[in-house]
Amino acid sequence: MTWLGAVPALAGEHGAAHVDALLLAAFDGVPADFVCTHVDRSGPVAVTTLSAHVPGEVDVDRLAEALGGPVVVLDDSGTPAARAARAGRDRADGRCVRFPGQSALTGTHPAAEVVAVSAIDRVVGIGVEVAPTDPVRTLGFLRPVCRDGELLLLVEPAVGGVLRPAEAESPHECCGGH
Amino acid sequence: MSHDHHHDHTHEHHHEEVEGSWRDAQDDRPLSVARRRFLAGLGAAGVATTLGAAPAHAHDDRPATPVNPWGGRGCWFAGDHHIHTKYSNDAQYEVTQQVAKAREHGLDWVVITDHGGVAHQKFSIDQVAPDIERARKSHRDVLVYQGLEWNIPGAEHATVFLPPGRSTVDILRAFEAAYDGGVLSTPVANGGKGLITRSTSADGEPYALAALRYLESQVLAGRTEIALMFANHPARRGVDSPHEFRGWRDAAPGVAVGMEGAPGHQAGGIPAANGGRGAARGLYDASPNQDSFPGYAPTATENPYRTYGGFDWMTAKVGGLWDSLLAEGRPWWVTATSDSHRVHLDTHKQGTGDHNTTGSRGAPIDTGVPQVESDYWPGFYSSTLVGADSKSYVDVMRGMQGGKVVAVHGRIIDGLNLRVRSLGEGDNRGVTIGGRTFVRRGHDVEVVIEVDLARGANFAGVVPRLAKVDLVAGPITGPATDRDALSAPGTTVVKSFEVARTARGTVRFTHTFRRVEGAFYLRLRGSDGNRLTSDGHPVMDVIGDADPWADLWFYANPVFVDVI
Repeated sequence: MTWLGAVPALAGEHGAAHVDALLLAAFDGVPADFVCTHVDRSGPVAVTTLSAHVPGEVDVDRLAEALGGPVVVLDDSGTPAARAARAGRDRADGRCVRFPGQSALTGTHPAAEVVAVSAIDRVVGIGVEVAPTDPVRTLGFLRPVCRDGELLLLVEPAVGGVLRPAEAESPHECCGGH
Repeated sequence: MSHDHHHDHTHEHHHEEVEGSWRDAQDDRPLSVARRRFLAGLGAAGVATTLGAAPAHAHDDRPATPVNPWGGRGCWFAGDHHIHTKYSNDAQYEVTQQVAKAREHGLDWVVITDHGGVAHQKFSIDQVAPDIERARKSHRDVLVYQGLEWNIPGAEHATVFLPPGRSTVDILRAFEAAYDGGVLSTPVANGGKGLITRSTSADGEPYALAALRYLESQVLAGRTEIALMFANHPARRGVDSPHEFRGWRDAAPGVAVGMEGAPGHQAGGIPAANGGRGAARGLYDASPNQDSFPGYAPTATENPYRTYGGFDWMTAKVGGLWDSLLAEGRPWWVTATSDSHRVHLDTHKQGTGDHNTTGSRGAPIDTGVPQVESDYWPGFYSSTLVGADSKSYVDVMRGMQGGKVVAVHGRIIDGLNLRVRSLGEGDNRGVTIGGRTFVRRGHDVEVVIEVDLARGANFAGVVPRLAKVDLVAGPITGPATDRDALSAPGTTVVKSFEVARTARGTVRFTHTFRRVEGAFYLRLRGSDGNRLTSDGHPVMDVIGDADPWADLWFYANPVFVDVI
């Protein structure tokens, strides 16, 4: 059982969901149950880093190769990878791309169920109160965020009197080639 | 659209005192005392050193010369500084089509702003320039500016444009080659410079400052009379950090003068059930990414990545980012544009040209079938009203540079006449929108607002009804010590004026700031009242459920009041 941090090499400027898919593909065969992306701003250019909780065995070298960048086991060092591992463990920040219960939340579920069946601690409405019975239309894509030790699902009002996650799977890509 | 003005006023007078606020001389809280002392001592003089070359706003001494002096009812020229054509990879129309549509929808001026990038710089500029020349000849009553939608290195997009001149195309071409974020981030092997990591990554920020200084140097060298930059869809991806706005403004205050208060793509939120795309109004549906400013975070109270009443969060939030810039006592203006790429329910689709290798999509193809899209024609929904001395290329740009600008949606108003003046010692003539006036400490400042209500139907076929006008004001607190400050806690709605249901023509409101003790600024916004929070603010637009015609706002640019 361990927390890993990594600085994956990301191909190009793709949408977040596309990057998530690439990252999770690198975890094929790795029994990670909690994977987050973080943004490391310690350098001149922001870098997306990653943390993962792996309850079982993991071949760190193989994972590093798949991610195209360094993977470290949790330590106290000041590297971006280590910072990511600690941020994931502490749920200090980051956006969660894999978490326990995620696969059970692909349809429309009452807010209370979202919390009951998954690692999500709270469903937080943006500008609205969320009642336990309020339906959350997940659209099969949930990216709760870590804040101050909690895993929060931010939701906002959507068509048809339901709530939808604030992060969409395919937001508008501005073209112009960039 | 130019507006003629009738004087069938409905008179509604309001006189209010403001007590218990920062303007209150009786307020002896240490912060207020210090602030008043600071403003008395430094105020605009301290600001002057960094104002640089902004001729309309330079203050070399105090008391300031009034800027934008009130001169009766001026002329508004409606326009749009953000329009795409087939020379953008994601757009489709001929320049003449867009100009003809703009004219049909009442616009006096337009800026053609295709996306910057390697292909545009290499192939599109030489094609769009003669197209623009032809459009000027075939539509002599519309000012057609050549511009660029610049990928600001390290940030979002921006409109950059110049008046027609011998060097206009050369300047734009050199600018794009040297400073477009797309060009800078594209690897050398693909024709770019390969100098920055991503178009939006922070290593691009110094290039943005150099770019704006370059434009200003072209003005100073006399190669162009004026050059302007407006940041487009500023909060859409959260990549325009507060310090970047301040950096642009300070690097070239005569060039970098504002931002889209409202983005284009306003049809994006029309519900699918009503034949719309069911996307986000403004196509504002993003979440933070690695280049987003971390202070722009969705929380239980707000989502900076959404529009509010169709306006960008930075503008729509009272006491938010825009106000934090204005509270410095420095100009920063807001506009409204169409960002027209592909028009909702128009029958054209994109041509088949290879933009990468030719710089053009080629002629659009008329399918004969209305297409479901997110944009409106220029002038159809969004207007930037500019007060100018004449309908000429340079005068309209000077009007924009000077902040005589009102951003209007769906013809919620036809015009606005604002006069802010000292009732005691000071500037008794007063100034208008975008201006700067002064008053003797302790004396009164009068605000007279005349709103020209819509005299006819908008392009949804409805005569819109203005329900209220908000007077927003806040203290000028001087240059921000925290360059990433994004709030102005002292700025509030000080008065809301209701517009009578029966009002027609021009409605008039007045408000007096009594015994003014410190420098402040004020601005106006108005709404059709259809979608308001309990405290009268715009509501966050719901993705897939935002009929833009049912939620109309205008935002006027500020007036600064110095105290002597």
